[in-house]
Amino acid sequence: MGDRKRIARQESFNVFFKTFQKILTANNQMLAVISEMGDKLSGDYIFDSQYIRSACREAEELTQELITGINILAPGKYTGLNDAFQHIQSEIQEEQAGRPVIPKTDHIMLYHLINRDFEDVVGAKNANLGEIKNVLELNVPDGFAVTTRAFDSFMSVNNLWDKVKTITDAWYNKKLSVEKASQQIQTLIADTKIPDPLKKAVDKASGLLYRGIKGQKPFLAVRSSAWGEDSGHSFAGQYLSLLNEPADHLLDCYKKIVASAYSASAMEYRRNKGFSEKEVVMAVGCQLMINPRTSGVLYTFDPQMPERDLMLISSTWGLGAPIVDGRSASDHFQVNRRFPYAETLITIAEKTEKLVLQKNGGTKNCSVPNEGRTAASLTPKQLKLLAKTALMIERHFKTPQDIEFAFDKEGTLFILQARPLNIQINRSMIIHDLPDILSRHPILFGNKGTIAQRGIAIGKVFKIFKDEDIDVFPLGAILVAKYTSPRFAKVIRKTAGIITDVGSATGHMATIAREFRVPTIVNTGNATALLESKQEITMDAEENNIYKGIINELRNYHLIEAPIEETFEYRLLRRVLKKTGSLNLLDPTADNFTPSGCKTFHDITRFVHEKAVEELINLQYYHHHDPKTATGKLKLPVPLDLVLIDIGAGLVVNENEKSAPIVPEQIDSIPMRAFIDGLLMPGAWDTDPMSVGLGSFMSSMTRTFSTNMATPKDIGQNLAVISKPYAHISLRLGYHFTMIDAYIDDNPNNNYAYFRFLGGVTDITKRSRRALLLSEILEKNDFFIEVRGDLVVARIKKLTTERMVRKLYLLGVLVGFSRQLDVQMLSDQHVHRYMENFNQLITSNSNIYEHEGSHYEQ
Amino acid sequence: MNNEQQISILVLDDEPVVCKRLRPILEKKGYAVETFFESEEALKRFKEKPFHIVITDLKMKGLDGMQFLTAVKELSPDTEVIVITGFATMETAKESFRKGVFDFLAKPFKLGEISDIIQKAEVKVRGRIS
Repeated sequence: MGDRKRIARQESFNVFFKTFQKILTANNQMLAVISEMGDKLSGDYIFDSQYIRSACREAEELTQELITGINILAPGKYTGLNDAFQHIQSEIQEEQAGRPVIPKTDHIMLYHLINRDFEDVVGAKNANLGEIKNVLELNVPDGFAVTTRAFDSFMSVNNLWDKVKTITDAWYNKKLSVEKASQQIQTLIADTKIPDPLKKAVDKASGLLYRGIKGQKPFLAVRSSAWGEDSGHSFAGQYLSLLNEPADHLLDCYKKIVASAYSASAMEYRRNKGFSEKEVVMAVGCQLMINPRTSGVLYTFDPQMPERDLMLISSTWGLGAPIVDGRSASDHFQVNRRFPYAETLITIAEKTEKLVLQKNGGTKNCSVPNEGRTAASLTPKQLKLLAKTALMIERHFKTPQDIEFAFDKEGTLFILQARPLNIQINRSMIIHDLPDILSRHPILFGNKGTIAQRGIAIGKVFKIFKDEDIDVFPLGAILVAKYTSPRFAKVIRKTAGIITDVGSATGHMATIAREFRVPTIVNTGNATALLESKQEITMDAEENNIYKGIINELRNYHLIEAPIEETFEYRLLRRVLKKTGSLNLLDPTADNFTPSGCKTFHDITRFVHEKAVEELINLQYYHHHDPKTATGKLKLPVPLDLVLIDIGAGLVVNENEKSAPIVPEQIDSIPMRAFIDGLLMPGAWDTDPMSVGLGSFMSSMTRTFSTNMATPKDIGQNLAVISKPYAHISLRLGYHFTMIDAYIDDNPNNNYAYFRFLGGVTDITKRSRRALLLSEILEKNDFFIEVRGDLVVARIKKLTTERMVRKLYLLGVLVGFSRQLDVQMLSDQHVHRYMENFNQLITSNSNIYEHEGSHYEQ
Repeated sequence: MNNEQQISILVLDDEPVVCKRLRPILEKKGYAVETFFESEEALKRFKEKPFHIVITDLKMKGLDGMQFLTAVKELSPDTEVIVITGFATMETAKESFRKGVFDFLAKPFKLGEISDIIQKAEVKVRGRIS
């Protein structure tokens, strides 16, 4: 090789490694920005939209740096990243400009896919119902939403948007009366043909819906679900609902509902409330009609006198529309908000008529038989069920609720609608009394640990020490436990609040608590010791105080405040976080692991990092003698072949030892050294109870094939790319792939560790058990976990050097310990047993474990 | 608490989230709180009734925070002003302190940080009124 050629190659190596380092740095900074944005949502901070703007700009710049980097490492290979970036960037800019984008979704969305995150797509009413159906798992008639996107495409046909604007402008300029304006717009809508794609989508969705109900002819309830309706402003009764419509009327119904957005009263209402006509975006809900025996409305508070702590229920036979419209007499009940929900007042009206379904569609009035006229339309048992259900919904949505419900002929309770209830509260009275009331209740402890989900919880302490305790968890209790565990998900719907000694606000359980909006404080240190079983407490997870006793006034105080989550800045931050911080690309072997699969900045970050490491490994593999890096085999006392590539101060190599194999003592890479130390902890590798024959077969598998024989792709050799603060370790032990990517320096904000585990020689059940075991162990050690089948992804970040080192050590132990466990995972009991084995292993070496990382203590 | 005079706090920030988040924390501690999104409104109210403590943003439409706090200090030199801002620079901080501001806090900040500052301001106010 000529000199010039050699120099040129060396220069290209220099550029390569510099770029790789830059990618690493940008990757770390990006993860830090994302996690800081998430922290702001926790409620411990006060931020404004200026913060959101600057955080987005920082994320944008870092993402661009990453893309530039990977384009240098792999020119022309991932050009799609630029498109992905621009797309995400423009969406974020739209959000920031306060122009909620009508999302480019399908025309329809099935109910079982909807939750409150989709309010933009399906409108508030559908979003609330979806949340109740899918998150709270209450009965909601099945159905689908015709999305805001469908509305947009309908309004775009024949330039309806423009035509409507001309008419509303004329009305605003007083050239047209509101009645005339409304009539003209409604005629326009009635005369517009529904675009074919929308028609097809609706047909397909109703087809799917009917498949569930064999034999009967399906009828539907078709209802408006506009932006803003059923949220802050109720728009109550402004838009249309159609009941018991035959399937072939669906498209006509759709147009009628859309037209109702432009009724004279709706237009006036919007103008009075300061909504612009541009904000009219109408989604529609289509649900299977149920045939109710009793229907009604429940308020979780008495709107006039909320301090009385009562719920109000009105009900009648048949359909509930007459109650909502105030057209007919109905029974009234007052029920105490506290268990056992005693009835305090019952007024039975004489119900002479009821609204019922007609056989061929529509509704009709018919007379109530004599015996039903003065009978209560709800039984005491039904009232209790309603009360319990309504409080669950209120707790979830964190505001007093106005709920429409129905019991069908079989006695099943269905929720038909839920929206915030406006209550007249004497605010000044509460404010005046509250500080005194609070000062009379001793604070059991305060400012311990981290708030993972804000809110107020009132209830009795129930401590969970072992799995069986979960099965007897009482409804409405406050769960107190030493560790966070994903197993608590089982009782999350029964839980008023959660307090743990250990655990992180980003852990799996914290995520579940946030999803269900259960007030949660983690990492308090010793809550299990400070709280007594069955003790009544009030948990203020707004300010992190635990009070002795029940303070309903505190809960009421927070119920009258619209939840902070619903303020513009919180919503904006949540929305931009969806475009920046969400991670969709988990599995690098999945089909969507491509530039066009990147839907968020985090996806791009993840993708670039993965590909950069891949490029580095390939380069190292195909060009052995790179002068800038030290490469060599690590000599270990366990049967594991591991090749190290040092890209910067990860190894201490003396000149005269250059050709000798590397020993662990030479490793100066902080995360790598900790990992290897863990792997070599006494007992970590050789806790092998298997028969000798199989054992030796397995251990032979941990030897990689000669590096000259196969490419990394073919065999997946055991390989680590390291520098002083960084390690990227990819291992193939037995048939499992393990990947660890970690960065540790003395700034906790930079620190992270990422662990991925996949595959195995045995059947999927055993592998899933192993995934369960791994995730349980990692969760207990504060990792954030995602499990898909037998793929386990665990992440942890922002710990001090010392604690990070301990986590890497733990990963080392875990990799050694778990390398062939799936073969032995014969039953679920094994999960538990091996978990104990692992804990014992750590405990019996606690002197080493506790010491690990201590020399990094600051 | 009943025997002591209630401390009044005015919060001014054009972003509702700030007022919304601060209000419950302060009310639960027994302060009399009023919140404003517009500086003109806030100043009008302050002229009617001086507050013990004022918490204000700097960058706002119309009368900006610096003008507002100058007016406040002229009307009532004993009022303790706490500045919270998303555009913190050395310059604005210096200018604020020159105008006699009690403390200066850059957004985003933790609830604990502002609580501490308010508590200190309260001590100072109480020292004066007792």
